[in-house]
Amino acid sequence: MSKSHEWQRLCGGKAFEVAWRIPLIAWQAVFFIGPLLFMIIISFFLVKNYRMIEAFEFVNWFKMLQRATFWDSFGYTLLLASLSTVLVSIIAFPASYGLAFRVSSEGRRWAIFLLIVPFFTSYLVRIFSWYVVLAEAGPLNAVFGFIGLGPYTMLNTAFGSVVGYMTLTLPLVIILQTISLSNIDRRCIEAAYNLGCGVVRVILEVIVPMARTGLIVAALFCFILSFGDFVSPYYLGGSKPPTLPILIIDTTKSGQQWPRAAVIAVMMMLTLFSIAFSAIWYAYRKRVAS
Amino acid sequence: MDPRPITKWMFYGYIAIVFSFIFLPIIASVVFSFNSQRFPTVPLGTFSTVWYETILTDSDVWDAAKTSIIVALCTSVIATFIGFCTAYADYRYRFFGKSGFLALALLPPTIPLIIMALAMLAWFARMGISGQVWSVIAAHTVLTIPFAMAIIRLRLNDIDPQLEAAAWNLGATEWVAVRNIILPFSKPAIIASLCLTAAVSFDEFAVAWFVAGLNKTIPVLIMEIVTGNIDPQVNAIGSFVFLTSMTLVVLAQLLLMKRLGRKWRGR
Amino acid sequence: MSQPIVQFLDVTKRFGDFVAVKNLNLDIYPGEFVAIMGPSGCGKTTTLRMLAGLEVPSDGDIFLDGEIMNEVSPHERDTPLVWQSLALFPFLNVRENVEFGLKMRGIQADERCLRAAKWLERMEIKAFSERNVDSLSGGQRQRVALARALVIEPKILLLDEPLSALDAHLVIRMQQVLTRLQRELGITFVYVTHSQSEAFAMADRVVIMGDGEIAQVGRPRDIYREPGNRFVAEFVGRNNIVTGKIESVAQNTAAISTSMGVFTVTVTEDQRIQVGIDATFVIAADLVRLTNTKPEADNVIACSLISEEFVGSVVTLFLESVDGHEFKVQLQERYLAEIDLKSDGSLFLSWPSASAHLLPV
Repeated sequence: MSKSHEWQRLCGGKAFEVAWRIPLIAWQAVFFIGPLLFMIIISFFLVKNYRMIEAFEFVNWFKMLQRATFWDSFGYTLLLASLSTVLVSIIAFPASYGLAFRVSSEGRRWAIFLLIVPFFTSYLVRIFSWYVVLAEAGPLNAVFGFIGLGPYTMLNTAFGSVVGYMTLTLPLVIILQTISLSNIDRRCIEAAYNLGCGVVRVILEVIVPMARTGLIVAALFCFILSFGDFVSPYYLGGSKPPTLPILIIDTTKSGQQWPRAAVIAVMMMLTLFSIAFSAIWYAYRKRVAS
Repeated sequence: MDPRPITKWMFYGYIAIVFSFIFLPIIASVVFSFNSQRFPTVPLGTFSTVWYETILTDSDVWDAAKTSIIVALCTSVIATFIGFCTAYADYRYRFFGKSGFLALALLPPTIPLIIMALAMLAWFARMGISGQVWSVIAAHTVLTIPFAMAIIRLRLNDIDPQLEAAAWNLGATEWVAVRNIILPFSKPAIIASLCLTAAVSFDEFAVAWFVAGLNKTIPVLIMEIVTGNIDPQVNAIGSFVFLTSMTLVVLAQLLLMKRLGRKWRGR
Repeated sequence: MSQPIVQFLDVTKRFGDFVAVKNLNLDIYPGEFVAIMGPSGCGKTTTLRMLAGLEVPSDGDIFLDGEIMNEVSPHERDTPLVWQSLALFPFLNVRENVEFGLKMRGIQADERCLRAAKWLERMEIKAFSERNVDSLSGGQRQRVALARALVIEPKILLLDEPLSALDAHLVIRMQQVLTRLQRELGITFVYVTHSQSEAFAMADRVVIMGDGEIAQVGRPRDIYREPGNRFVAEFVGRNNIVTGKIESVAQNTAAISTSMGVFTVTVTEDQRIQVGIDATFVIAADLVRLTNTKPEADNVIACSLISEEFVGSVVTLFLESVDGHEFKVQLQERYLAEIDLKSDGSLFLSWPSASAHLLPV
């Protein structure tokens, strides 16, 4: 019995407990935390003759942050991502509201299943599809032509970028909004109607405040995805001016300027973190009695 | 609430418009893949399988498909294994630093892919393993662990906590109880996780593009073709990818929604 | 008596600041059917789990068959448990469930099959042996759980409220199955429950716990007739409890003055009684007589009816004395015809001094 005790102490109990944490910690340390920290470190490296040299210099930071082009593209990216977040949230809401309150639960399940489908179709192929559809001589302009309109230039504009962002984020935002709206206690809504609230006021003063956390989280995901996406602004937006992700690609792929790309990446992370934290703080903040 | 059918139909109409926006590019891509025109427009050209013939005879496409399948398979197995361990650690134990542990598992999707791509490119180059299939697998595993963990953790929510203790009580060690009780119980979720992580890996292009080097995956190949010019063979490849991914997703969905687990027989 | 099979020596179990079990001392002997009973949160399940090795005692020692078990992990003990949720493995069929413990003990497949078959037969579930456990009824699942625990031929079987999920009529059936099984096998049963009827119907000895401590240990009849303290008297539930001050003691009888008058209680020699101290006595509800005319005797209270409750052939009447003290009277339904319950102001309770039990001071 004492021998099996020994075995138990070695293989069971604490060792058993800790063993389940090791795979994740080891893998994420080497392939997730390691790369991210290293990226911060190389932002201080130097590049000479297309080779990185270990150093601790702020030269990349000064070079990047003094460039007007960087701030132009920073502002443009922020603007585009915010615009798409607001647009997508507004466009998604009536659909989510309809799915949550006017569709049977069976229908809602099917709708959510359908909305998951796009995540597993190649985003690139979908964007390429838009590229063809929106082209100067493409099908959409051909249809406009029949009714005597156009042709419109839709590619290589901010409009193109936003269409791309919407393709990426609209399904996710509708899913998240629908889930948070259908979790609202129906009795509260009925109580509001019962107390004489009109439809619009019920939506604005009962439903939106009650689903606030879910709506903000949906918008936050929309922002994160749009802010970090390079495909839409590149292929549909014509990268004029380039957004930050495009700037990272250009800087990385041409001239091995990884340290400068790292500066852009760190700046993007900082922006995202501060926006994410304030959004989450706002979403979970105790409701102030008004 | 508002019982008038007119508003109900207004909502239905609106939902239909939004859904057609979402599905237009997918449907258009399939239609274009059978269209003879190089620059598709309205009216459409004739029905043609020329783009499919092009890709089936293109050795680049075959190589990329092979790479994609290897990457997706390895990624799904490793991510599901780590996801299972993480889910079990979360299900069974409370420990110091648990929220940090969970953040480590769930954070990757909140970081833009382009940043992950750059960070991994630099890191792998530093470690001297860049441009290999393994580097893509390592990166994709990081990106898919959250999905695997979430799916399996949800399944473990449904287990009767007395089940595992009952196994110990009947003479099973902790390891044996995991093998005999937790694993069979999680089986549907594990299979669903294998499908979903494979599907995510199969479609990922940003990180793969940066770290794959010459071992192009299908999405990277698509990207190179698209960057060159308009070439409808992209639509044909896309349709194939769509078919593969959807098979995996529907399989996973069936396993999770129909709760096959209830009727799942051991062995 | 022989050597105890289970011994708790000063066992304490703490969960953080919460003390679940406090200085527990208990001996259980081979072949006994012991029920541990108490309200939820009293520590009864924790006690059972410590016996199975699922919790490690914070202080004190637990002996099983003469060996100290504190550090022995659950899988190294032969203390099978029948769980409240039954905890049948949903992905295994009935036979595989029953074979599980044998498989863990490294017994070959053919012998496993043989031994499982014996128990499936004995528990009358052989017909379902290849069925999925989800397709069985509550009673059948109960039998699978029992077979799964007993197939390893333990000396002791632990049961944690196993009947709580069953319908009332099935509970009686399973009680009979359990008592017969225990007598035939001659092994020790430790049965945790919050149900008094289950414990009193089956157990040789009942342990009543409250707040992590043992309140009383004894045969069901003794606990029912002579509760050791107020907690037990209240928990048992069919008791009328009256408090007052001892007025006088003469021979075997003490007179106790209360707000409702003076009552006499028979006392034993070893009860130390002093005039003037507070005292509480109980009268079991089924020992109280109810009449329409005031009987010429001691211990009479006039009262009025509040409500009545029928359970089969037994009826419980709830009455109230003039100053608002509530009394319970239990009698056979067929005697109800002899009493006029409606006659207001002429209902009298009475009991002989020997039926009242003075709680130890």
